[in-house]
Amino acid sequence: MKNYFKICSLFLIVALVSCSSNQDKEQKYHGNFEKIKALEKDSIEYEVKSTDLIGNTPLILVETKEVSFFIPERKSKIQAYNCSECHTKTIPELKFKNLTGKKAHDSIKLNHATLEELTCNSCHPTQNLDHLKSNLNAKIDFNQSYKVCAQCHSSEYKDWLGGAHGKRVKGWVNPRISHTCVDCHNPHSPKFESRFPAKLNTKKIEEIR
Amino acid sequence: MSKEENKNVENSQNTWHQITSENTDRRSALKKLTAGLIAGVGIASTSCSVFSEDQEKEASQLSWDEFFKKNYKIMSDEERVQTVQRLESLYEKKTGNTINISHQGPLDDVLFGYVFNISKCQGYMDCVNACVEENNQDRDSEMKYISIHQIEKGHGFNFEKAEDEFTNEVPLKNHFYIGTQCFHCENPPCVSVCPTEATWKEKDGIVVVDYDWCIGCRYCSASCPYDGRRFNWGQPHVPEEEVNKNQHYLGNRLRKKGVMEKCTFCIQRSRSGQNPACVDACPTGARKFGNLLDPKSEIRWILENKKVFRLKEDLGTEPKFWYYMD
Repeated sequence: MKNYFKICSLFLIVALVSCSSNQDKEQKYHGNFEKIKALEKDSIEYEVKSTDLIGNTPLILVETKEVSFFIPERKSKIQAYNCSECHTKTIPELKFKNLTGKKAHDSIKLNHATLEELTCNSCHPTQNLDHLKSNLNAKIDFNQSYKVCAQCHSSEYKDWLGGAHGKRVKGWVNPRISHTCVDCHNPHSPKFESRFPAKLNTKKIEEIR
Repeated sequence: MSKEENKNVENSQNTWHQITSENTDRRSALKKLTAGLIAGVGIASTSCSVFSEDQEKEASQLSWDEFFKKNYKIMSDEERVQTVQRLESLYEKKTGNTINISHQGPLDDVLFGYVFNISKCQGYMDCVNACVEENNQDRDSEMKYISIHQIEKGHGFNFEKAEDEFTNEVPLKNHFYIGTQCFHCENPPCVSVCPTEATWKEKDGIVVVDYDWCIGCRYCSASCPYDGRRFNWGQPHVPEEEVNKNQHYLGNRLRKKGVMEKCTFCIQRSRSGQNPACVDACPTGARKFGNLLDPKSEIRWILENKKVFRLKEDLGTEPKFWYYMD
């Protein structure tokens, strides 16, 4: 009888040891979401920061109730900003002058919605052109031009805040740095043009040409 | 039979005895045999050449050590450093250019995931270009990890009717675009079928290949339900000036003939915090990459707020590559 107990306890110990050693191996999860829920962490510190990857680009903070992230600064990339350096007079005053010759912004063709819905004046004020404006004539800084877009494109704006629309600048690590609307879309002609696919690794591109 | 001949026979018998009496396994016997062979060839070649004997000896020693190294998965850190250094100096000896091969391991608390917006992809194929350039893929056979499928609307995801080699202007009217590549399954069939354990899933979820342990049986390619793997039927060729010198042992280092390769989420980039090359190259923002274990990441927001799906979910392979729509 004693031997029987001994054997039993030996079995138990072996079983326990094998169980615990199994835990050391990679645990099996039933699907991705079970694994994600089991291993996720609220605050993760990465050795690399996304700010290290982008160099010295100045950043602007976007902050809402749900999210906060950075976008690249915009004004320094605009040719001939401040606008007021040339625009010393308001637009109505200029209109009376009957100017002839080449105009400074002739190259801009407005191809955004229709002229019934949207004109130059919908985003640019007639006075103090250093700012953009909202539908209710509130000042909007060029660095926060996404606020102008968000007035009409609310679902895109929501997706952009969440991260489904738009794209990251360089890395996936924290802090989040995303491109702003006008980094990808020309505000005067926001639709992407159709073109031939870029094919480096096929000879067919030569056939097309 | 003369005395001399007798002696010779005796000698050869003795040597035969020595070989057979020794308790050697197949591997070490093979090692010794090839050692003899290589040494013989080495002696023959060095006796002929007058120049840079030492350099040649060093190079042959390096390739010798390379040939008999372990599987990367079971190497110690030290051994990993050694093989990386060997590969770097072998490349320098061959081409005169320096490369940097990383052996960086997975980051803590990271599980990589990928999402693809089928409403946004327009078939521009910039991702394919970037991938080929980043990952040193064979230019001769036009190898591509990413396939972009042009599918006519109204037929669902009919990959049999999809056009994969389209040359028309994009986006084509009444068509949509969907990209496929390695999905880095949580339950990867390619890993379970590999007879030499040359492919496995890393802790951060990336399925990788040890090109030096792959025997080219192509079981993995046959087992992959997503056409995620590519095989080098010939000697891969990348023009020297186009070689991406920033490499990873498990990623874009130069491959050889007869080995399998595939997307590694650009392991050389992603493990140092960068996006994979395809994500950065996409002009429409259809490609998203991130850490699934970070509840505040954009990829988690997409999984929780958008309508997402995966291909062939019923197989239970659990890809970490989702599709979504606006």
